[in-house]
Amino acid sequence: MTAVLVIEDDDRIRLALLLALEEEGYTARGAASAEEGLRMQRSDPADNVLFDLMLPGIDGFEGIRQLRRDDDVPIVVVSARDDTHDIVAALEAGADDYVVKPVAIKELSARLRALRRRARAVATPVAVQVIGDLEISPEAGEVRRAGAPVALTRTEFRLLCELAEHAGRVLSRQQLLQRVWGYDSGDERLVDVHVGRLRQKIEAEPGNPRHLVTLRGLGYKLQR
Amino acid sequence: MRHLGLRARVTAGFAVGAALLASSMALISYDLTRRSLLDERERTAVRAAYFDAGVVRIGLNTDDPDVVEVLRSLDTGSSRRPLLHLDGSWYGRTAETAATSVPAALQQQVRAGQPGVQRVQLAGQTTLLVGVPLPDGASYYELTSLRELEETFQVLALALTAVAIMVAGAGAAFGWYATRHSLRPLTAVADAAERISAGDFTTRLAPATDPDLTRLSTSFNDMVDQLARRNERDRRFAADVSHELRSPLQTLYAAASVLTRRRGHHDERTATAAGLVADEIGRFQQLVNDLLELARTDQPAQRESVDIVALASEVCQSRELPKKLVQPDSGMPTEWRVDRRRTEQLLVNLLENAVRYGGGPVAVRLSAVDATGIVEVDDAGPGVPVADRGVIFDRFVRSRAARARGGTDGTGLGLAIVAQHATAHGGHAVVVDRPGGGARFRVELPGSVE
Repeated sequence: MTAVLVIEDDDRIRLALLLALEEEGYTARGAASAEEGLRMQRSDPADNVLFDLMLPGIDGFEGIRQLRRDDDVPIVVVSARDDTHDIVAALEAGADDYVVKPVAIKELSARLRALRRRARAVATPVAVQVIGDLEISPEAGEVRRAGAPVALTRTEFRLLCELAEHAGRVLSRQQLLQRVWGYDSGDERLVDVHVGRLRQKIEAEPGNPRHLVTLRGLGYKLQR
Repeated sequence: MRHLGLRARVTAGFAVGAALLASSMALISYDLTRRSLLDERERTAVRAAYFDAGVVRIGLNTDDPDVVEVLRSLDTGSSRRPLLHLDGSWYGRTAETAATSVPAALQQQVRAGQPGVQRVQLAGQTTLLVGVPLPDGASYYELTSLRELEETFQVLALALTAVAIMVAGAGAAFGWYATRHSLRPLTAVADAAERISAGDFTTRLAPATDPDLTRLSTSFNDMVDQLARRNERDRRFAADVSHELRSPLQTLYAAASVLTRRRGHHDERTATAAGLVADEIGRFQQLVNDLLELARTDQPAQRESVDIVALASEVCQSRELPKKLVQPDSGMPTEWRVDRRRTEQLLVNLLENAVRYGGGPVAVRLSAVDATGIVEVDDAGPGVPVADRGVIFDRFVRSRAARARGGTDGTGLGLAIVAQHATAHGGHAVVVDRPGGGARFRVELPGSVE
């Protein structure tokens, strides 16, 4: 049974989501604030976390940031806000995906499934890759930069592995959405924000990347 | 007739003014020059004639003088010809110098002892005629050709005309240059207005250093400030409304999915009611999304490079329609510079419209004319009556034909959104007849093909 933690301050929405998720076969638990959610996740970790953004006390953005410090659990933001600004900020805080309310339970369930599939393992076992001072071990789930381990979320790790597997070749945003997120079509901002976060962790100068480069209008490429 | 632009009018004014000034100056100077040259020439001719008349008088003072020989002895050069009237006969250096050359009035005057000067036309040439009375009723005349002088005048007239034309041209050029400078503030306003209408609300006019223009730039910038504030207010309102509407919808959505899942546990009436609730929530959500989309007007298209054929295929696939519906024009560039989200949505809405009201889409045609990308969705329906074509892109309009087929499950906003997305790209949406029956919805997206 997959456990889902729903962090949502609106009692009715939380109750309805818990009911519907349980109906879909999940073990669902609810928290009315980010503080409560973080506490619950620490004491009894769930497999997925659904995060609202507008929360009393610390808001969703800060909650996600705090959760991300020591947990790489897949996080899906479920928010009524559809401003690009909010979406990018939430993804930059560390969320793996973003859906705008109201979301059909079927759709939410499909996204959670895709995230779990991706979280479970790397699709094809590949050898250790060395890109510049980066050392990527897909099977060990480890990335080292100049010998020191780099902390990546599962989504970032998948993204890096996917790019490393096709090192030297361009992958379009749509291709990355399909391969990393498992979506047939989706919001390309997901890719852009995660690439940005990945650069912060693996590039010496994230503003002027040497390895993870953008090819305008085409996509992204990992190069030596 | 089309009105001339301000700049053209000012330039023409400068040109006409300069031409008038230059031509009157030219006329005056031509006239003055002509008079003074003619006077000078006349004085010279008179002086020469008096001298020659003196020589003739001395020559005639001998006994039995040879008149022709006396005239021949005169040092007149080629430009002066002497003529003598003596005892009722005319003597000249050559035979052709006829007495008729001298007007009767001048003959009378000279015979009466009065010297005279007159300008006459002789054999098509302007000639100066000087008459000097001699003793014993004789008259001496001298004809001076003014041909060279006339030629000089012609050259002068030509030169002055050329100068006048050049001055008029210079006036026009100056007008053009001056208006460019004086119209510069207007050009700046036009540029700023263009940027603002394209959605850039950070545009402001630079504060004018010219006191005459301060009011213009200040009021323009105030207007933009207000516009930006109103835009921001609208955006926030849409965001607030969206939040307030979407949150309860999420509850309904999740609760309805539980009801749907548990259909089997309900009696028939409850199951029907639950089904209705679930269906209507879907439609309600679509309505909210469409309304919010329409509320986000005025936002410019965020153009990026998009593979239009791949996008159209993806949209078909997501609607469970065959990919082969997509028919790109051969030789058309597949990378279009368009707003991906808007283009995707207009494709979705056109396809849904075709499914819902047009008996299903039969083709998604992609083509390019110059820089304009054209998307056409053909359907197999009865077409849209001409009377409805103008309003079909309005909000909440469903054509009579659509109603007749009981198509009321749409929001009535799909095509309005299509039109809005077309407008955001600077284009428009129309519906025409498809050759062979059915409707063809055409969306033109200018500037999307390089």
